[in-house]
Amino acid sequence: MTWESTFPTRRERAVEWPLWIGVLGLMLIGAAFIFSATGSADAAAGRPWWRYRVMSQIVAYVLGLGLVAGLCIIDYARLARWSLVAYWISVALLVAVALFGVSRLGAKRWIDFGPIQFQPSELAKLAFLFALANFLARPPGELNSPALFAKALGMALIPFLLILKQPDLGSALVFMPVALAMMFAAGVPRRFLLRFLGSGALVVVLLLVDVMFAPPGWKFIKLEEYQKHRLLVYFGLDFAPKGATPSERLAARAEQEKKSYNVKQSLISVGSGGLAGKGWGEGTQSALGYLPRAVAHNDFIFSVIAEERGFLGSLTVLTLYAVVLFSGIKIASQARDRLGRLIAVGVVTLLFTHIFVNIGMNIRMVPVTGIPLPLLSAGGTSVICSLIAIGILQNIHLHRRHY
Amino acid sequence: MLIFDQLNKGDQPLRILAWGLLAGLLLLLGGLWKVQVLSGAQYRERQETQSFRTVRVPALRGKILDRSGREFAGNTPRYRLDLYLDELRPQFAAEYDVRRAALVARKSATNAPPKDTFWAWVGRGFRKPRTTPRLTIQEIDQLSRASRFAAVSNTIAEVGRRLRLPLTLSEQALHDHYITKRALPLPILPNCTPEQVALITEQSWNLPGVELERVPIRRYPHGHLASHVVGHLRRDDDYNDEEGRFDYRMRDFRGAMGLEAAFDRELRGQAGARSILVNSAGYRHRQGEEVIAEPQPGLNLITTLDLDLQVAAEKALGSVAGDERGAVVVMDPTNGDVLAMASAPDFDPSEFLDGVSAQRWTNFFLAEPATPMINRATYGQYAPGSTFKIIDAIALLEAGVDPNALFRVEPDPTTPGKGRYMLGKRSIRDLAPPGEYDFRRAFIRSSNSYFIDHGLRLGWEKLIGWGANFGLGQRTGIRLNEETGGDFPTLDTVRERGWTAGNMANVLIGQEITLTPLQLAVAVSAVANGGKVFWPRLVDRLEPESPLSETPAVRVQPGQVRTEIRAKARNFDLVRTAMRDDVLDSEGTGKSARMSDFEICGKTGTAEIKGFGRKDKVTWFASFAPFEAPRYVVIVMVESGASGGGTCAPVARQIYEFLRNREQGRSAPLAHLGGGQ
Repeated sequence: MTWESTFPTRRERAVEWPLWIGVLGLMLIGAAFIFSATGSADAAAGRPWWRYRVMSQIVAYVLGLGLVAGLCIIDYARLARWSLVAYWISVALLVAVALFGVSRLGAKRWIDFGPIQFQPSELAKLAFLFALANFLARPPGELNSPALFAKALGMALIPFLLILKQPDLGSALVFMPVALAMMFAAGVPRRFLLRFLGSGALVVVLLLVDVMFAPPGWKFIKLEEYQKHRLLVYFGLDFAPKGATPSERLAARAEQEKKSYNVKQSLISVGSGGLAGKGWGEGTQSALGYLPRAVAHNDFIFSVIAEERGFLGSLTVLTLYAVVLFSGIKIASQARDRLGRLIAVGVVTLLFTHIFVNIGMNIRMVPVTGIPLPLLSAGGTSVICSLIAIGILQNIHLHRRHY
Repeated sequence: MLIFDQLNKGDQPLRILAWGLLAGLLLLLGGLWKVQVLSGAQYRERQETQSFRTVRVPALRGKILDRSGREFAGNTPRYRLDLYLDELRPQFAAEYDVRRAALVARKSATNAPPKDTFWAWVGRGFRKPRTTPRLTIQEIDQLSRASRFAAVSNTIAEVGRRLRLPLTLSEQALHDHYITKRALPLPILPNCTPEQVALITEQSWNLPGVELERVPIRRYPHGHLASHVVGHLRRDDDYNDEEGRFDYRMRDFRGAMGLEAAFDRELRGQAGARSILVNSAGYRHRQGEEVIAEPQPGLNLITTLDLDLQVAAEKALGSVAGDERGAVVVMDPTNGDVLAMASAPDFDPSEFLDGVSAQRWTNFFLAEPATPMINRATYGQYAPGSTFKIIDAIALLEAGVDPNALFRVEPDPTTPGKGRYMLGKRSIRDLAPPGEYDFRRAFIRSSNSYFIDHGLRLGWEKLIGWGANFGLGQRTGIRLNEETGGDFPTLDTVRERGWTAGNMANVLIGQEITLTPLQLAVAVSAVANGGKVFWPRLVDRLEPESPLSETPAVRVQPGQVRTEIRAKARNFDLVRTAMRDDVLDSEGTGKSARMSDFEICGKTGTAEIKGFGRKDKVTWFASFAPFEAPRYVVIVMVESGASGGGTCAPVARQIYEFLRNREQGRSAPLAHLGGGQ
């Protein structure tokens, strides 16, 4: 491949500027507020500046941007040829997690590579997205076959079930909207999708019946205890079962208090920010440890931003995400082939699902899950995977005219 | 915006997707609007209630002063050594790590080795087997509790070493403090001596969390002086009669007796409030303190007491031999102002500031018969004995008894030289020798026969009416909680008790009734001033310390008349003259109070107390001076004295000597009484 073909010389934009302005803005915000949430604790612990937690985030940003640049050299179509390999590798990694993973807080989600710990579920999302796009990129006529639809579903189900086993229901569920949106964009017949949606809805209803009414001897679908609790917290329901004794009720109340603590504190953080916020570094919720320090800088970073910058800060963050997402849609509409279009749709849906679930959980719109906020939450795997996803959008944009 | 073009461009699926994204983002924005803007205030309040604690800060207590502004009670700084737990948290953590490691080592030594399953075998090459046993919540709690205690004990021991003091702290005390007052400092040395303060401030102290705090504390510069009037404080942080809710209360006191108690609200002022920022572990957050409301200092209380006179009165009362129990009241008969009020034995009010042990209470404060906590001047009830004849005299003269008519006192066959009065078959002793008595002689010899014989003809109604007119049986209304009205019958009680002439005879000579020395002072003042029964005044005014304060001073109107006694001036003159002669005449019972250049008028009394298995005497001297224009009323009461004339009259004379000397400018104010500083 020549220079000419990689970087067009025509007077056309090679770089999708709004996308990168949005990404850059989010990265600045991420670094600033991770520092706000962890800086004083790091200083108090006497760490040197290069060992601050914000520094590993910055390193992840730089590493991710480097990967993006590398990725853009190779046409996404060529990358897509390897997608099935990547898919099976990620499945293998998920199996490895189940066998040798590191447990944290009762879930096996990480693989320990000495100094670096790595979360294969993040990678699996990307690999799955690529593989499914590659699979669906065939001529639209073929998509009418139910067998094909079943195969596509199967591709989603393998990582879904493996991640569900970790257990990480939140991350597993992310696969579903991504698969759905991609099949929808690919032109899979609506009736298949509706049936899929319908059965999904049935499962959700069965789960909710189990959680909310707890009928004795329920056999259909059972949730893990902690997942049940999260849903009970979300719906504001009592933990204690109906026929509980007073002492059981008391224990259940204490458990509830503990389980709903994070949500309660994140709501207080977000709400107490008000319209304009308390100012950068002035937030007290994480400084005083009410918003637990273990989660303030990753899953609940949005609470920190919302507390210190208020509704205006929230609006800024959402606007930046909107810029990124709509740039992605634009790239999808301008893609040179179905493959590019489907990958772009998948990336946009993946990012959107993360954003919606994470911010939603900060204000109790969505039950609590361990889903990070793309680019803002502290966490190397999440940042790098988000940047790779966005880099692929750029790749599709860059190669939109070359057939 | 350009990016939103996608809503209308592109093919249908992408447009639907774009609208879906927009809807999702707007939904989030709506939710955020609701939480942050619509409910923002509510969440801010929740955030504040969980992260702020309010502390009640007591106001500086108002002073208690004498009539010319000298202090009976004031305030003085005290230095307290505090330990801030939040600054010891690194030490807590260090101690915790050590203890935890030890416990883990102990537990894993006894734990079974991990199970040898297939997966464990597979995994062995990849991950280290789990070696650390889990700790239960109880174990963790116990570890943290022990670590806190170890760290705090270390610091306290170090402070003790540097101050050369054996300082200790019980584990329970620390735990209680941790549970109830975690955000407040732990006082480790409540009252540092100046030497310790010097040591602490001189040394490069450099102990984390240890700070010297300056707090005001009550000071009674004259110690025991006027202790019953001034009263004392009791440790009490919990003022629930105040507005405002507080999470914590700083050490405070409440008046428990005397003026401290009666005017507690005014002296206390308005407590202020401070807020402390606390973290989620409940510890104080540094630099998070803020004053919400400044405390408003209490009002100064200016009494009508005269400090020098008080000293003189207590000194005079103290001159009675033995462990004297008694009281002195000095009053201005022209307006009812209490100039001095003493009760013996007394106590040191500052003793109560740091708490009094139960043992000390039973062995000293409540020990009978001394009962130093009783204000005998207002709360002790005593039979007035012959001093009641002052009231008899007014009653008899007003009933038309001719002062010049002679009355014969019959001799007592059992006691030569003494008289007796036969009431039916009962013989009543009369210390006056048998002979002829007119009113004046009967008064100065205190003849029981004379007063009983004439008095019985008065009837209950008149006798009770005169007593009530002089305020007997009712509280004088002095502004102290420790006051009693004594026991003086009403017509109803006479009927209920079925009292006969025999009881009346007893009442006429001041038995079977009781009064307080203050009541007698009010009654004698009325005789001295020609019939005005005053509301005695102990408090002159309440005023703010700072002249800039907006609180106005409150003044108690002096000379408020309670009852005007309708008796002829001539009769008052006769009684006053008889009282003068009681002191002046060589035959008078009160001659030991005599002074050559100050005309003292008085009446002695000795009451017998029977009952409670013992026989005791109460001795009195009720007096005023000078005869021409009475300016002072002095009442002296001594329990278990020898006689009114022998025990009490000399006490009164010493007080009058002081007063005369001062009026003539002969002496500088007396030095302060012993026992004070």
